[in-house]
Amino acid sequence: MNALANVIRAETFKVLRKRRLYILAALYWFLLPVLVLVVARVVHVNLAGSFANDGGTVDQGLQLFASPVGIARLALAGPAFTSPTLYIVAVTLLAALLIGDERSQNMWKTVLVVQPKRWAVLAGKVVVTMGALAALMLGAAVFGFLFGAIGTTFLPTDFSGAWPPLIGLYLLQLAQLLAPVLLAFLLITLVRSGVLGVVMVLFLPSLIETLYTVLNTIAQLQPLNRINAIFQALRIQNTWQALPKYFFTSNLYNPGRQASGELLGQIGVSGELSGSGPFAALLGTGMTLGHSALVMGGYAIVFGAILFWWFLSRDFD
Amino acid sequence: MSAITASGLTKRYGAVAAVSELSFDIAQGEIVGFLGPNGAGKTTTLRMLAGLVKPTAGTCQVLGAKVPGTTLRRVGTMIEEPTFYPYLTGRNNLRHAALLHGDVPEERIDEALAFVHMQDAAHKKVKAYSQGMRQRLALARALLWRPQVLLLDEPTNGLDPTGIAEFRESLKAIAAEGTTVLVSSHILAEVEKFVDRVLAIDKGVLRFDGRLGDLLARMGEQQVRYTVRAADQAALFAALERLGLRHTPNGHDGADVMVARDRSDDLVGDLVAQGVRVLAASVHGDDLEAAYLKLVNGQGRPS
Repeated sequence: MNALANVIRAETFKVLRKRRLYILAALYWFLLPVLVLVVARVVHVNLAGSFANDGGTVDQGLQLFASPVGIARLALAGPAFTSPTLYIVAVTLLAALLIGDERSQNMWKTVLVVQPKRWAVLAGKVVVTMGALAALMLGAAVFGFLFGAIGTTFLPTDFSGAWPPLIGLYLLQLAQLLAPVLLAFLLITLVRSGVLGVVMVLFLPSLIETLYTVLNTIAQLQPLNRINAIFQALRIQNTWQALPKYFFTSNLYNPGRQASGELLGQIGVSGELSGSGPFAALLGTGMTLGHSALVMGGYAIVFGAILFWWFLSRDFD
Repeated sequence: MSAITASGLTKRYGAVAAVSELSFDIAQGEIVGFLGPNGAGKTTTLRMLAGLVKPTAGTCQVLGAKVPGTTLRRVGTMIEEPTFYPYLTGRNNLRHAALLHGDVPEERIDEALAFVHMQDAAHKKVKAYSQGMRQRLALARALLWRPQVLLLDEPTNGLDPTGIAEFRESLKAIAAEGTTVLVSSHILAEVEKFVDRVLAIDKGVLRFDGRLGDLLARMGEQQVRYTVRAADQAALFAALERLGLRHTPNGHDGADVMVARDRSDDLVGDLVAQGVRVLAASVHGDDLEAAYLKLVNGQGRPS
C-alpha cells in the first residue's frame, strides 16, 4: 500500500500545479452562483410587487433556485445539461493531465521505473482523479451554499431545504463518474494520443449509442404493408424508448438530472417525470437512481478490467 | 552478488528479433559501456532491464532479483531522450519523482541539483530548458534515491562538447561512489574514457564482452591520433622529435601526431613543457571507431 500512497501523493502534487484546473473550478464555483443571484435579483426587483407574486409564487421560485440549497442543487444539475457536460469536460481534463501527459510527454519510461508497481501507478492515478472530481463537486456545493447565504441578505430566501437527499445525489453522481474516468484512461492509453483520446471520450459514447440506435431501428424493419405498418411503428417506438436504459450517457448524468427533476416536481410538473412524459425523455428521469447506479457500475467494471489488464501486461516502448 | 545479469535475453517483435540470446553478468561497482550502432538492440535491452518491456525469452536480474521486481527501486535510469512534465519546474519535476519513489528526503533534491550544477535553473519550467539542461536534470532525477545501479541510454546525445565533458566527469564521480553503471552509446570514443568493460552488440547479438584494453589490443588500436596546431610549426616538429612521437605535417601551422593511448592525456602538457605555444589540439576517434565498427559489423572476431 506504500506504493499506492506514494503515487497518490505524487499525482496530487502534480494536479495542484495545473493552472487549467483552477480555471475550471473558478468557472464552476463562481460563475453559476453569481449568474443565479443576478437573475434572482432582477426577478425579485421586477416581480416581487407585481400580481405574479400575489400567492407568493415568485418568492417560492426564488427559494427554489436562489436559496443556499437551491444554488447547491443547480450546481449539481446544471453541469449535467451543458453540451458537452461539465462533468465529462472535467473528467477528460483530469485524465489528460494524469495519464495523457505520460503518453504525450513519453513519461511512462520514467514513471514506471521510479515506481515499478504498475497497479499502484494506475490505481493511484484513478484515485487522484476521483479525488479531484470530488473536490470540484464539493467546492460547487460549498460555494453554492455560500452564495446562497449571501443571497439571503437581499432576496426572500432562507436556509431551509432538503439537504440530505441532495448530498446523496452529489455522492451518487460522483460515484458514477468513475466509469467515464476509467473510459477516459482506457481510451487515452489505447489510442496512444492524449488529444485523440480526449476527443474520443467526449464524443465516442454518444456516437456509438446513436449508431446502435439506428442499427437497432433498421433491424426492426420488415417489408412494409398496410397490415403491419402500425405494429412496426410501435415496435420502433418501443426500441427507441428501451435502448437508453442501458446507454452510458443516459445513465451517467441521472443523479444530476434527478436534482433538476426535483425542482420541476416542486413547480408542479411532477406527473410528467415518472412515466413517459416529455420531461422524462428530456431529463432522463424515467430511470431510477438504482438502475443507473447498477448500469454505471457495470460499465466501470468492464472499463476497469480492460484498462488494468492492458496496462499491467503491455510493453512500454 | 552480481548487479545485473542477463540470461538468454531475447525480444522479438513479430518475426524480427530486436535482441537475441543476450547473456552477460555485471558485477557491483563495474562501469560497463554498452556499445552498438543505432538499431543494434541497446535500448530494447535497457528497457528489459528496467522492467518496461517483457522479454520474449530469457530472464534478467537486477541486484539479485528478477525484473520486474522491487529492486528496480534501487535503479536509476535515463532511457533515450530525457522527458519531463514541461509545466513543472526542474525542482518540481524532481519533487514529483521523489514523491513517487517515496524514500527520498527533501534535502536530497538539493544535493542532486547541486551535483549537476542546476540549482540556479531549478525554479524555471522545464519547457524553457535547453537539451543540455534536460540531460543534466535527467541525471539528477536518476540519482535522487542514490541508486545502486544506473542504466544510461546514450546519455550524451544532443550535448555539445563541453556538456559531454561535464557529463563524463559526473559519471566518473558517481562511479567512484561504487554505483554500477551500464551506459550505452553508439560512439566508442564517448565512453572509452571511463568504462572498465565493453559489451558490443549488433543486430541484437553480443559481439564482444571484455575489457576495453582487450578490444583495443585485438583491433591493434593502442594509439590515438591528435591534430595539434601551434604558433610555430618548426618548434612543434622539433618538440615532437624530442618526445619521440610519430607525426606528419597538417597545414602550415599544425601536425597530426600518433600518441600511445595511455599517454594521450599528457600530450599538450608535454608540448608546453617543451616550450611550444599550442593553439589547439583535437583528438580523432576515427581510427578506433572504424575498428570498432568493423567488430560490431561482424568482421571482427566475436569474443
